[in-house]
Amino acid sequence: MRRTWSDAADFQAFIDEGGMVEPEDDMPAAYRDEVFRFIEFHANSELMGGLTERDWIPHSPGLRLKQIFLAKTQDEIGHAHLLYMVAADMGVKSRQEMLDDLFAGRSRFHNVFHYQAVTWADQIAIAYLVDAAAFASQRAVFAECSYGPYKRILKRIVAEEGFHMRHGEEMLLRMAEGTEVQHTMFQEALDRWWWPAVQLFGPDSDPADPLLAWKIKSQRNEVLRDAYIQKYVPLLQGYGFRIPDDGLRQDADGRWVTSPIDWEPLKATMRQGGPDSRRRIENAARNWADTAWVRDALDRSAAAAA
Amino acid sequence: MTAPTTPVASPGIVDAVRAALGSVDDPEYPDLSIVDLGLLETLTFDGGVARVGLIPTFGGCPALAMIESDVRAAVEAVEGVERCEVTWLRSPVWTTDRMTAAARRTLADDYTVVLRGPDGGLRCPVCGGDEVEDRSIAGPTRCRSIAWCPTCRNPVEVMRT
Repeated sequence: MRRTWSDAADFQAFIDEGGMVEPEDDMPAAYRDEVFRFIEFHANSELMGGLTERDWIPHSPGLRLKQIFLAKTQDEIGHAHLLYMVAADMGVKSRQEMLDDLFAGRSRFHNVFHYQAVTWADQIAIAYLVDAAAFASQRAVFAECSYGPYKRILKRIVAEEGFHMRHGEEMLLRMAEGTEVQHTMFQEALDRWWWPAVQLFGPDSDPADPLLAWKIKSQRNEVLRDAYIQKYVPLLQGYGFRIPDDGLRQDADGRWVTSPIDWEPLKATMRQGGPDSRRRIENAARNWADTAWVRDALDRSAAAAA
Repeated sequence: MTAPTTPVASPGIVDAVRAALGSVDDPEYPDLSIVDLGLLETLTFDGGVARVGLIPTFGGCPALAMIESDVRAAVEAVEGVERCEVTWLRSPVWTTDRMTAAARRTLADDYTVVLRGPDGGLRCPVCGGDEVEDRSIAGPTRCRSIAWCPTCRNPVEVMRT
């Protein structure tokens, strides 16, 4: 069943016809490397996101929200686990190498996990705004996604992220309809998280980005970013919040246009130079070290059962 | 599962309520109904009030409040129903045996999620391989664990009982 392609054009024709690449296939090295890097980035982001949510479990107000944050943490860590399995199987790096690189600050993850969540309202801004941005970008990958094992995982991830978004909307509604203090708290969080959420989609896509041609990405970054802005500007304004962009305006067709985006903060996070990058990475590395005994106990119990 | 009963003669409404319940999907599986998942245990209708008894797949499931409000909205939209009361029952305990064949098919075909066979064995929903290995007792949700199919090299998730 192992498929081979005579050259890059032959492979591209296969992708263009909607072909799905499977692990056993003799895929071009460039495809393997790029898809691996993309999945590794996604896995790292799920892990870093899950650890952020974990930090807030004890601080969540009330049992029901603690339950929700516990479940979300389990979701994200579970997604990371699945993604690392598929990435490691591609034979570029082992799972341990990926984790070592992450904890040493040598690999990348989503910009939004390089910032500090200051108050509970930040956590709601993350659940409402950032999860929605991540959901939109993952859904766009799922829409085509030429790598079979990745597409199968994305099906479940997208379903679960949709569920997180409903939680985010519910929590936001409570702040929007709450006291003046709650309203102000969310506005301040929105001031901190609006631009990182918009920047999550990245700068305009390079037309030559091979991930577009190989149908890993189904949409250009700027298309996804614009759809997000058109949806969330009126929603947030409708709840009585102010978008932290003095240059925000509507064009003749009523479409929202933001001020020119400063991409420096995004670039800084890609060099681990974001406002909270260091603490986040150290926190993740410490967490991995602190939980070594759990993995050890599981390994011993599996060995004893065998 | 005890047969849903109605104490008064409004079979039409009970059927309509049951149909409405069948349209409520699990929030984590957008195309799987809670009825197919086996969450519906009791249903009665009396004096304009529909009483729905559900059982959770797992205690601590974060979707319960959402399912409850989705159920209430769907049932209260049925003509003749004034109010819907939802109760989460403590017994019987949910097991994968309560899932319908349709639910099992959707999980396997669309979500790469399988149930353990009667002998405890696992069959890969992607390639049919029977060498699926358990990898982690904890998956992304309370109700699933993680396995791996070495034949087609795909992760497989397993519904926990």
